[in-house]
Amino acid sequence: MAKERIWYVEDSENMDQICSRCRMCELICTFHHHGVGNPYRSRIRVVALGKGVDIPVTCLNCEDAPCVNICPTGAMHRPQPDSMVIVNPDVCIGCGMCVNACPVGAVILDPGEGTALKCDLCNGEPQCVKYCPAEVLKLSGSSQFSKHRMKGFARLLQAQTINTETGLK
Amino acid sequence: MNRFQGGYAGRILYVDLTDGTIDNRPLPREFAEKYIGGRGFSSRILLDEVPADVDPYSPRNVVVIASGALNGLPMPSASRLVTATKSPMTGALGDSNSGGYFAPELKYAGFDAIVVRGASKEPVYLFIKDGQAELRPAQHLWGCKVHESHQKIVAETNDEDTHVLVIGPAGENMVRYACVVTDKESVGGRCGIGAVLGSKRLKAIAVRGTRDVKIADPPRFKKVIDDYLVSIAGEAWTESLRRLGTPFLTEHRQTLGIWGAKNFQSGIVEGGEKISGEVFRKKFLVKPLGCMACFIRCRRYSAITAGDSPFYTKGPEYESIHALGAKPNVTDPETILRAHYLCDEYGMDEQSAGSAIAMAMELFERGLLKRDQTDGQELTFGNGEALLYFIDKIASRQGFGDLLAEGTKVMGEKLNAEYYAIHVKGLEVDAADPRKQETRALTYCVATRGACHLRGNPYIDEFIKPEEAEAYFGTAAVSDINSLEGKGKMVAWSEDWVTLSDLMGICKFAWYRSRDFSMLVKRGLDMVAEAYQAATGIPMTSREMYRCGERVYNVEKIFNLRQGFGRAADYPPERFFREPLPTGPAKGAVLNREHYDRLLNDYYEARGWSPESGVPTPEKLKELGLASDEIQ
Repeated sequence: MAKERIWYVEDSENMDQICSRCRMCELICTFHHHGVGNPYRSRIRVVALGKGVDIPVTCLNCEDAPCVNICPTGAMHRPQPDSMVIVNPDVCIGCGMCVNACPVGAVILDPGEGTALKCDLCNGEPQCVKYCPAEVLKLSGSSQFSKHRMKGFARLLQAQTINTETGLK
Repeated sequence: MNRFQGGYAGRILYVDLTDGTIDNRPLPREFAEKYIGGRGFSSRILLDEVPADVDPYSPRNVVVIASGALNGLPMPSASRLVTATKSPMTGALGDSNSGGYFAPELKYAGFDAIVVRGASKEPVYLFIKDGQAELRPAQHLWGCKVHESHQKIVAETNDEDTHVLVIGPAGENMVRYACVVTDKESVGGRCGIGAVLGSKRLKAIAVRGTRDVKIADPPRFKKVIDDYLVSIAGEAWTESLRRLGTPFLTEHRQTLGIWGAKNFQSGIVEGGEKISGEVFRKKFLVKPLGCMACFIRCRRYSAITAGDSPFYTKGPEYESIHALGAKPNVTDPETILRAHYLCDEYGMDEQSAGSAIAMAMELFERGLLKRDQTDGQELTFGNGEALLYFIDKIASRQGFGDLLAEGTKVMGEKLNAEYYAIHVKGLEVDAADPRKQETRALTYCVATRGACHLRGNPYIDEFIKPEEAEAYFGTAAVSDINSLEGKGKMVAWSEDWVTLSDLMGICKFAWYRSRDFSMLVKRGLDMVAEAYQAATGIPMTSREMYRCGERVYNVEKIFNLRQGFGRAADYPPERFFREPLPTGPAKGAVLNREHYDRLLNDYYEARGWSPESGVPTPEKLKELGLASDEIQ
């Protein structure tokens, strides 16, 4: 069982399968974990870069996770070798070292509690994946994602490769 | 201390620009329960705060910015913001509704509504963050277009998550139909809210919040979300909107022959296929966008990247193509998109701008306007260059643009051409030509903000089953599109029911698009009453929910009666009675005055309003918990 995480998967064939910045992932994440409305406590955030580029960003579930390595109390840990890195809030002291160490900004300190918050895959059924209207968030291992990318690239090749000598396309 | 279990932030921010005081008050519980939120809050506050003698541009006018009761929660499509004031377009109650992210952000910042009074000597903007608010100088922003204003303010707040409502140069110059724009892309277009903010010299409101909006009963709320999503999944409307956005309506209007082209002289656009929704998708679409929590994603994000002046814009909407394409008969999609972008950049309502230019075009072609009056421009239908030229001139109020900036009602008065000003109460007729469908005409004309296709839902008779019609409107005849019987009641019901979407802050596309009447009732009354209870903990039956919509509608009626808008103000422009549509599928369609009189009588009767004056009866007021001394 390879490590799983949430991937942002656009469909190059289908213009409608793209992040539309509705931020439902943010809303549903906070709702699921805290029972309130507040996208700023969400463990996934849609980053708007302008000119129509909007990308949801969340934990990469690194193999050699900087947040785990740096945590001074052991609050940031991986329960099983192939599971998601999670926070034990009882042990977390809110020092923010993990926030500092995370290469993608996927850890925040809860404005309410002060302790670290990050994606925990909602015990196996990530709510952002379930509720994304564009269906661009997927829970999978890296090989499935690679396969998806390969498919896109293969389509591109097929569209561009016309061998006039052999007649092959 | 928030006295609500959820749903509400529990505070209203009062800002007086004259003396710069800012007052942070609790949201009264009884007020919230009676008026729910959004348009309910804004309409009631305007009734209380703006007497009949107030000039819309005077410091005594008030602007209300309000979130709906469900904004800020993970409720599907709960993104809508209401901005309201006494409108310079009409002198009646005016409000505009926009999507995006501002309304939820206001809640996260700790406020359900903002009430702006007075006028500042110098340009200022209001900055709200987590329960605190301050006025900041905006002299350096005065004159900036929408994109630039937005970017500068976000930079000043030092936080990319800040959401900003701005006015553009059109608002500063008090173009009568200037609009407000949030986050560069969400436009509260109609009724001239931006012009009033310009008169108050309030350039912008920037808001940033990180607070929770509580939910009284989360598991119950989750169930509502799931039920609601099931109810909108697979609706044909939802699919069309996702694919083409509102421009999918272009084909619908052309097929029925109700485009309102050439200032409503024609029902079809010659060359309409050149400006269809499909064309705009193919040529310009970058991707679809969704407002906060939207499952429909109807917004278009478009771009023209080639040429000297490339731009990105949120749009076009169907209304853009209608106002800047069909009305002035411009059939070049690139010109329409550019005109749309310019209207947004200057901060003015494209529907009114397009209507004003289209009216001038008709007057020019009829010889009632001469070239020496139109800055030397050949102002004929189809002239896209003239359209773009005058959008610039309107924003700066230069030359003939100064008159165009007043809107069609004033143009009609000043040019002695009132017949050609196609408006109701001063607001231009939008969306479509109502000559073919009398219930549509009634909806446009009784709408409390002036001509508006969004105040009701007059299309129910197209799909309601006879037994549903019998149960709801007392006669099966409502299911017959050719019968007038019961239609007044149907329109009144649909208005109250649609009003609820504006109280909740839910987008109308998630609300009233279904060909199944029972689904409309279920989604727009039962589920929403359930969502309101789950969010706020306040008991609410479907019946009480409906009453809240009716109460707000009556409050708006009372505001307008006080301003002198009686029965005569609920009639369509004369053109629709006199001129049958000359060509196309709806050829010969014209409104019949007797039919209209009867519809209006039935409508007043269904509402419990006096047929002669439109004044609500004391019984009706009592039933709605409104004091009878409100009408003075």
